[in-house]
Amino acid sequence: MCGIVGFLDKRGGLHQPIGRTMLAMLQALSCRGPDSAGLAVYGPPHSCWIVRAALPTDFLLATSARQSLERISGHGHVRRHEFDGAYVRFEINETLPTPADVERWVSEKLPQVEIVSLGHQLDIIKQVGSPEQLEASYCISQSTGTHGIGHTRLSTESRVDLSHSQPFWAHGMPDLATVHNGHITNYHKLRRRYEQKGHRFYTENDSEVIGVYLRDRLTAGLSFEVALRSSLDDFDGSFSYLAATADRLAYVKDRYGFKPLMVAETDDFVAIATEEIALRRSLGRDFMAREPAPGTLGVWATSLSKAVAEWPRN
Amino acid sequence: MTFTIDCRDKPTRAINQELRGAIDTGQRDIHVQQPDGRHNLGVALLQPVRVVFDGSVGYYCAGMMDGAHVEVHGSAGWGTAESMLNGTVVIDGNAGSGAAASIRGGTVVVRGDAAARAGVSMKGGTLLIGGSCGYMAGFMMQKGRIVVCGDAGEALADSMYEGAVFVGGKVDSLGNDSVYVDLTAEDHASLKELLGTYRVPAPKAFRKIVSGRKLWNFDRKELETWKAAL
Repeated sequence: MCGIVGFLDKRGGLHQPIGRTMLAMLQALSCRGPDSAGLAVYGPPHSCWIVRAALPTDFLLATSARQSLERISGHGHVRRHEFDGAYVRFEINETLPTPADVERWVSEKLPQVEIVSLGHQLDIIKQVGSPEQLEASYCISQSTGTHGIGHTRLSTESRVDLSHSQPFWAHGMPDLATVHNGHITNYHKLRRRYEQKGHRFYTENDSEVIGVYLRDRLTAGLSFEVALRSSLDDFDGSFSYLAATADRLAYVKDRYGFKPLMVAETDDFVAIATEEIALRRSLGRDFMAREPAPGTLGVWATSLSKAVAEWPRN
Repeated sequence: MTFTIDCRDKPTRAINQELRGAIDTGQRDIHVQQPDGRHNLGVALLQPVRVVFDGSVGYYCAGMMDGAHVEVHGSAGWGTAESMLNGTVVIDGNAGSGAAASIRGGTVVVRGDAAARAGVSMKGGTLLIGGSCGYMAGFMMQKGRIVVCGDAGEALADSMYEGAVFVGGKVDSLGNDSVYVDLTAEDHASLKELLGTYRVPAPKAFRKIVSGRKLWNFDRKELETWKAAL
């Protein structure tokens, strides 16, 4: 099971009310994934790294993380920070030039926290429980931006906690996030291969390998579209997955069509969801939805893609 | 007289109970409004009633039914009309995977496209697709007919026992042990009647596919055929 959703506002503007739409989509799919819910929203570009990290669940560790943060925030690399439920969200100057530098620095200064998202636009919020509970904790319906992806999880093999919830940020690649419905059956083989190449895995969830794979292909110089296409050959098992970058939203569907996926596109939006019910509940009835053919993918760019593609400016 | 059911703010069970209640009190023409892609609507309808879904429906709509007439003014999800005994289901839009799987009789019409595995294991009846269908349509069908006015995907009619598949467009590939044969005069007449009844535009010509019957009996000499099929 699991439910995945994606939404891209084609009308332009950096502050479209996509959180409200995506919450309604997630709620319609909550019965497909009662274990956890999560949302990745792409907001306006920041001139610094925006980092969301989960605080430790242990009270003493969390307290020490909070104290460390108060100490280092406001000068040096950290521009500012705010606590938000189970998370701390902070802005880090580009004096740390790459995501790897940011991660290294954070793991030195704040070894207790776990980075959940990093980029110039991406913000991932997820937790154990239903979409309603996610809304109650973080008011995700108030989120604005250009596009986003979301997930409701029915856990099958790995544990139910915040770390194993989706969306996943692809560590090392700013603003790249994925959500997955299905099972990557050659996960262990791929994971071994990537660990030998030096990639680190942060969870036991097979879906995490999608982001690792895409990061590896993008780093090797493939375009986003080509990397997605090659994943159709390199992943075994059942998958409908969505991937998003600062200016792109994409779906990929396995060759057998094992997992459902519906896509609707109008002049105003592109909406993707595991089931049509999510599209109807959130967006009404004045459009057709289609089930993409097995073994296909689709990529859409935001209306700001040109400007965003130049970000960060060198 | 038309009886109307509004699905808004109702769980599926309540909608189906309302539908059954209406049928029990003698309603014979029922319009279900705002179905919004809900699953399992109109399953196991056993009376000769007309049910119109005024929008898209989710999975297994009109499954296991016997003798009703169902219209979907939108698209349908997976497994539409699955295991139907008799009746008609007409979908104006597209149908998800496994449309008309295992039906024993009646007619399923998809005016748009059908996704993968349409009409698998059919044991009778007719599946008419106005557009194209995905891979493995008619897999292991045992009786009945599938009519595809557009194109058909890979492995069409794989391992079929009996029945016939008609395709108007191109076929990506035939499945194991299915072969092309010429249409008979009766085929032409019955296709014309079928398309006319449901007002589905006819393609220029149809090709007919039936079982090659090589898999009917095991022959040691044809071990390779069996290996490929299994």
